[in-house]
Amino acid sequence: MSNDYLLLVVFLAIAVVFPLIPLAMAWTWGFLFSPHKPGNDKGAIYECGIESTGAAQIQFQSHYYLYALVFLIFDVETIFLLPFAAAFTTLPLSAFIAILVFLLLLVEGLVWAWAKGILEWK
Amino acid sequence: MNYLILLQLLAPEAILTVTALLVLGVGFSAWGSRQVLVLLSLVGCFAAGASLSFLPTANIYMVGGMLAMGPLAAFFKGILIGLAAVTIVFSRTGGVRTHFAEYLSLLLFATVGMTLLISSEELLMIFVALELTSISLYALAAFRKESRASAEAGLKYFLVGGVSAAFLLFGLSLIYGVAGTTSLHALASIPPALAGDPLMLAGIVLTLGGFAFKVAAVPFHLWAPDVYQGAPTSAAAFIASGSKVAGVFILAKMLALGLAATSGVGCMAGWTAWVPLLAIMAAASVLLGNIAALVQSNVARILAYSAIAHGGYMLIGFTSASIPGFTAVLFYVIIYAITTLGAFGIISLVKTRRGSANLRDFDGLAKTSPLVAICLLVFLISLAGIPPFAGFFGKFYLFAEALKGASAGPAPGIFWLVAAAIALNAVSLYYYLIILKHAFVMPAPAETKHSQAPISGDTLLLVIALAAAVLLLGLFPGVLLEPLRAVISNYLTTFL
Repeated sequence: MSNDYLLLVVFLAIAVVFPLIPLAMAWTWGFLFSPHKPGNDKGAIYECGIESTGAAQIQFQSHYYLYALVFLIFDVETIFLLPFAAAFTTLPLSAFIAILVFLLLLVEGLVWAWAKGILEWK
Repeated sequence: MNYLILLQLLAPEAILTVTALLVLGVGFSAWGSRQVLVLLSLVGCFAAGASLSFLPTANIYMVGGMLAMGPLAAFFKGILIGLAAVTIVFSRTGGVRTHFAEYLSLLLFATVGMTLLISSEELLMIFVALELTSISLYALAAFRKESRASAEAGLKYFLVGGVSAAFLLFGLSLIYGVAGTTSLHALASIPPALAGDPLMLAGIVLTLGGFAFKVAAVPFHLWAPDVYQGAPTSAAAFIASGSKVAGVFILAKMLALGLAATSGVGCMAGWTAWVPLLAIMAAASVLLGNIAALVQSNVARILAYSAIAHGGYMLIGFTSASIPGFTAVLFYVIIYAITTLGAFGIISLVKTRRGSANLRDFDGLAKTSPLVAICLLVFLISLAGIPPFAGFFGKFYLFAEALKGASAGPAPGIFWLVAAAIALNAVSLYYYLIILKHAFVMPAPAETKHSQAPISGDTLLLVIALAAAVLLLGLFPGVLLEPLRAVISNYLTTFL
């Protein structure tokens, strides 16, 4: 039992040391060999993708959120439909009825959202 | 798997779901007035309740415990549907102005979640049903969009609920990892070598954290005061009654069935693993609930802290780790739900008259509407545990069984827990009597624009009926206790 936990401690130590080694090597290399020439581009925060512009705290319409929610429901529905479709020929009639009930429940949700006016862009 | 049998066993849930969808549809039509919607929901509840009596009387166990029906489950499903029906009537006048059809259908969906919870004996199904209940209740708590308090209630309920659901899921996954099964029955017969496994114990701690949220036990109680105060009154009433009954029932099943074989290690060896943990949570809940209620000025908040304390009393019953003790807890939670529902009915009545439910809004209630004041007296005295009302017998039975469990088991410390609970119960008298002082002693305020608003007759009628039930169950507890014992012993003879 105690040996098992010892292994965990060793693992933890390795997990700490492993990322520190390349960092230390890079720092040592830079300290010993690279000339000191700072600049705007070099000093910028490293970020992948295009340069960010503007503030992050902008307002956007909460309407997007409702669209996304309705979309998500039908997106997730596909996950259930796909295995059903793949095994369709071997399934009994009752399974077909069960999936129809499932679809009807989702369609009722869409009808409700439609009637509530959620799908109209304001 | 035969779908017809499945449909027959799930008839109450199917009826409730169809009703909820119908209510949504009718809400759009020209006849979708509040009365029609309430009536439609009530018809659905009655049909679902009636369908319970057509269920097979044998204990049936399907799909690895995902659906376990029988007299015990039917008994509690009936009670939950009844509580939902009362809540629906309360909601007709209960402060929800817009989107009323959605409100009712959410109430019905929450009821479906609770009834599914009652009949599940499988970890995944328990989690799914718990989430269906919780998510519907989060939306209900935040339903009054024009009120900041309601938004705050919804957000707090959601955040605490989300965190505790994460606790629960993590705990269940650990339990599954150790035991290799998600069925409560299979879990009950895990080999003794695994009974005190550290991972298992960690799983139990996390799982109990998740359930403590439903019972509003310390340290997962923080949502209760704000939700009780800020949520629409009928939603708060359902959270306080229905959600509590379902939560306590599934916790009882989880402890008595799934985790009964677990045991503590070290100085806790020989104890069932969850007893010490529940004892600590119970002591903290009873202490915090009763003390913090003393300084509240809003009656809904007082009821919230009283709910925390009552959650503590119920956990004390669980620490007896015996079937009679669990029976006492289940009996107590039913009594508590009926009483609290009545008290919230009165809060709803007072709110329509005075606009809020602070202590001073109860001033002179005995003068203006004596019948309501007398019902309030019945509910509060019953909550405080004074005879001849049902709360007294419930508490007496609960503590007696807890003491019996303490003297029979290896846990003599439980005696002090019960003693502390009884002492703190005496403290609770203060805040119940403060409400009654405002209702009976203080003079009525000068006329305001609200004070002439008519009191809704159906709510008043139900409040009186609930008060009568509290009195009758106090005088003849056997009316409820005997059927409860019968269904529990029926369940035990089949499954244990």
